[in-house]
Amino acid sequence: MKDNVISETDVTTHKTKIAARNVQVYYGDTHAIKDVSVDIQDKTVTAFIGPSGCGKSTFLRCINRMNDTIDICTVKGDILIDGEDIYDSAVDPVQLRAKVGMVFQKPNPFPKSIYDNVAYGPRIHGLARNKSELDDIVERALKRGAIWNEVKDRLHAPGTGLSGGQQQRLCIARAVATEPEVLLMDEPCSALDPIATAQVEELIDELRQDYSVVIVTHSMQQAARVSQRTAFFHLGNLVEFGETDKIFTSPEDPRTESYITGRIG
Amino acid sequence: MRDLFNVGSTTLLVAVVLILTVLAYGLVRSRVMSSVSGDARKLHSLPNYYGYNAAMLTAIPALFVLAIWMLVQPMLIQNAVIDMIPQSAVNEGSSVNLVMSDVRRVANGLDAAVQSGTLDADSARDMDVTATDVRALLAGTGVALGSDVTPEVLAAAQRYRSMEVTGRWLMIAVISVLVLGGMFIALRTARADFRARNTVERFLLGLLVLAASLAILTTVGIVLSMLFETLNFFRLHPWQDFFLGTTWAPNFRGDSDLSILPLLWGTLYISFIALLVAVPIGLFAAIYLSEYANNKVRAFAKPLLEILAGIPTIVYGLFALLTVGPFLVKVFGRGEDGLLGVDWMSGATSVLTAGLVMGIMLIPFVSSLSDDIINAVPQSMRDGSFGLGATHSETIRQVVLPAALPGIVGAVLLAASRAIGETMIVVLGAGAIARISGNPLEAMTTITTRIVSQLTGDTDFASPETLVAFALGLTLFVLTLGLNVLALLIVRKYREQYE
Ligand SMILES: Nc1ncnc2c1ncn2[C@@H]1O[C@H](COP(=O)(O)OP(=O)(O)OP(=O)(O)O)[C@@H](O)[C@H]1O
Ligand SMILES: [Mg+2]
Repeated sequence: MKDNVISETDVTTHKTKIAARNVQVYYGDTHAIKDVSVDIQDKTVTAFIGPSGCGKSTFLRCINRMNDTIDICTVKGDILIDGEDIYDSAVDPVQLRAKVGMVFQKPNPFPKSIYDNVAYGPRIHGLARNKSELDDIVERALKRGAIWNEVKDRLHAPGTGLSGGQQQRLCIARAVATEPEVLLMDEPCSALDPIATAQVEELIDELRQDYSVVIVTHSMQQAARVSQRTAFFHLGNLVEFGETDKIFTSPEDPRTESYITGRIG
Repeated sequence: MRDLFNVGSTTLLVAVVLILTVLAYGLVRSRVMSSVSGDARKLHSLPNYYGYNAAMLTAIPALFVLAIWMLVQPMLIQNAVIDMIPQSAVNEGSSVNLVMSDVRRVANGLDAAVQSGTLDADSARDMDVTATDVRALLAGTGVALGSDVTPEVLAAAQRYRSMEVTGRWLMIAVISVLVLGGMFIALRTARADFRARNTVERFLLGLLVLAASLAILTTVGIVLSMLFETLNFFRLHPWQDFFLGTTWAPNFRGDSDLSILPLLWGTLYISFIALLVAVPIGLFAAIYLSEYANNKVRAFAKPLLEILAGIPTIVYGLFALLTVGPFLVKVFGRGEDGLLGVDWMSGATSVLTAGLVMGIMLIPFVSSLSDDIINAVPQSMRDGSFGLGATHSETIRQVVLPAALPGIVGAVLLAASRAIGETMIVVLGAGAIARISGNPLEAMTTITTRIVSQLTGDTDFASPETLVAFALGLTLFVLTLGLNVLALLIVRKYREQYE
């Protein structure tokens, strides 16, 4: 069930990248996240698991303040990245999102060419000094997104013309092109075949060298394969959080155990 | 029964048909119910369907024939009676048609006299001009005639009356046969296994097809009538002058210059200025409303914009004439007394006046169309851009607008076609001088204004000066149709993008 080679190295603890304290999220009157506190480490892959509708996406969106775009959504509590409160009024959410990249649950390429999709972030943030540098960034990102071979001959074809799985990998490439420090991935592999999934998992493992990655997934196997730490959410509560090995082998909470073994979902 | 022959008779007839229809509905419904001894589950269709079917069989053929009859009978009678009027009975400067309208008036007058009791039916039939003063008699019943009634006209009127009575009788007979026949068939088919539901379904389909084809046929009819008059025009006037000439100067000596180019220039120039005003303002308003405004502002501003769209264009025309025109004169005209101290503008009507006001008129049009299109861009697209650290305006400029662009182009083309076809604002605001000039402060005129002026007042539909209006109208139609088709093609292509 788990990849021993990866987990072996993880016992070393890294410094805390993201610290959430007593986070509450409301959609109007719906209480979607209930008092969640969690420490997400740097250079680590953290998996969020839990049944549908339990608030995984909602919590993920708090970390890069994407919930700001939803009128009825209010977030309470503190979230610190590198010790800085991201909900502080001095923080520019735009800048924050450049630092905290996101891959969405549904692929959402822009109706632009494949090249322009990937070059979008670097262009906005002025990451490339000239055209050839931009070309390099795009190529590197597409390679990391495990889609370079499929699109290298049609970089100027529209991104919306790709298949669902290809679109998702394009979105991953788009997100890594801006070199974020934290990458939030909301079910990035739900539309992918096993080969592409393996490639994306490889990418996640590679990103771990430099970044902190948070991945939402419905696949226990995937969580076990790629993550070092796992958080189990249930009905808006963080039920259990710890070493992936431990969560999957000897969970403390009976709800976690029932979920992992497939009794609640 | 006597009332059946009078003016209200058709209404009465329709009422009788409808009563019988309701009767047929009830009769057939109860009959079919009793045939299964009240157990509706044994019927092929719900009991009401049998009733509807009976009602349809009773009413539709009868009402259809009635409508046709009402259209055809007057024509047939007219054709029969018109032969009775000899050429000698038609006065100098008059025509057979005028005499025929006299005949109809006399006939109607006699009817009225009989009805009011001034005259009995027999004497009305056998009346003779030499014996009675028909004109005075009819004047007594409220029918005024322009001249004395000649024997020919009276004879024709008598004939007209008798044919009308025969026609009425025949009509009543035919309608009765149809109604009773329909009811009979409905009763015959009222069996439990009759597929009444399917018949009703077919009927509804027929109704929808009829409505659709009527809409299409009227369009075709409009185009054809324009086309015929346009062909008449080109028989009287060389097309080279119309399409390629450079002057518009109608006169009544028969050597008018009737070229569309100065009018087309005015039309396009004014529309261009209107779009220059409407597109940026409308688009920015739409972007604000759909991207930035909160729900409160939107709930208040959107209806306000829509009210702006509901203002009749004549009101905009008055606004141009009374407010915008004089204001522009104050700015650009009046020499030393004006705001700029220049004297570039002499009158209130000008291309700029009409263009500005038309632009204001088009703002809500552009903004509400663009608003719809911007809202159709999926939220996930915006999320993607925000998630990469783009600001709101970067997202709008680089993702939302490019995605919405084809739709916005379509909206602009639709606005352009409205601008080109707009009439009231230019009639009041643009002036009446046909010329090709680049100065927006001069009065110019448009195709629509000239159509109005060529067709108002005394018109003679055999002169090119009048007929040119149809050629202008057809050109306008082709122009706006082309723009609309183009706009629709673009909008449709854009729609497919997200599906
Ligand atoms: N935009 C929204 N407006 C109102 N309620 C919302 C909104 N988004 C999510 N919710 C509610 O918040 C709760 C958590 O939703 P969330 O999308 O975070 O679930 P999830 O764990 O990601 O589920 P899934 O695995 O199906 O993606 C759900 O009850 C959902 O109905
Ligand atoms: Mg989710």
